[in-house]
Amino acid sequence: MVKRPGRLLPGKKVLARWRFVLQSISMEPNWAAEHLQVIRTLMERSALYRRALAPIMIFNGVAGLAAAALGWGLKIGSPRAFIFYWAGVSAVALAGSFLLVRRQALKESEPFWSPPTRRVTQALLPPLAAGLMISAVALMRVGSASDNPGNLAGMLWLPLLWVVLYGCAFHAAGFFMPRGMKLFGWAFVLGGCVLFAVGVPAWVRPLDCAHGIMGFFFGGLHLAYGVYLYFTERRRNEP
Amino acid sequence: MNPEPFLQLDRVIHEKGRLAIMSMLAASPELSFTELRDTLGMTDGNLTTHIRTLQEAGYLSVTKSFQNNRPLTTCALTAAGKRAFTHYINLLERIIRQNKPE
Repeated sequence: MVKRPGRLLPGKKVLARWRFVLQSISMEPNWAAEHLQVIRTLMERSALYRRALAPIMIFNGVAGLAAAALGWGLKIGSPRAFIFYWAGVSAVALAGSFLLVRRQALKESEPFWSPPTRRVTQALLPPLAAGLMISAVALMRVGSASDNPGNLAGMLWLPLLWVVLYGCAFHAAGFFMPRGMKLFGWAFVLGGCVLFAVGVPAWVRPLDCAHGIMGFFFGGLHLAYGVYLYFTERRRNEP
Repeated sequence: MNPEPFLQLDRVIHEKGRLAIMSMLAASPELSFTELRDTLGMTDGNLTTHIRTLQEAGYLSVTKSFQNNRPLTTCALTAAGKRAFTHYINLLERIIRQNKPE
């Protein structure tokens, strides 16, 4: 039961106010600074995206690895087929992630399109949109002949660009997500850049290399991070 | 020590639980009851009491709706709540400045 000053008699009200002041002054001298620190922490926590990420990461990791294996097995080698194939995989991954987030929101009786979700989406959007547009332009400019391996060899920059842009997207979203997400973004950015600089050995076939890059980054890294989160992520943010 | 800033501290906000609620809502346009409860680790009853107190003070608005046939309670700071919270922060900063050794 909260006693509010307005409910007290005038004399008692004044006394209560002074008792409150004396109590406040007699507290630790830096209590105000501690109060501000608590406020800052809570405000930051309020803006954070708190859905459990482990199931989403594991789902995307498994989807990425399975898609890479399937793409390699089916010998999807023409640049056009490669772009279409991985665009389809990303659509499936996106839909799956959406359903997982929605299921969590429903389970917790919380709105799906919450302010943190909006912030994370806004952060993710520019690099992902850039990747989509560059892929669309690449799709229009490449041939569809699967018997031209040179095409895919020349297209290896595209998966690497996807990797780097994806990393940028997650690094940006990391400002509104728990710690670790920015590091995850950096792994993509640096990995993509290093592979771009070093290049791929001549003995690796372009087909294997392209699907291998996609499988390693979008499958392996997601799965590894998902497993790590599964064992470390607290279900909810504890105070 | 000048007691004036202490006298001006809003006692409705100054309580630990209510300050936490106000802080979280100050950083977000609105939050659901469950988000507040789980993040702050409060019980349903405790949170309800604090929300009611803040609502009576005119600092907080509560909206009840349905989402997928399940009740959804969301809380948001009112304009008066935002003003009171800003004033409270300013007072804390004044107190810190006042306590700083010359």
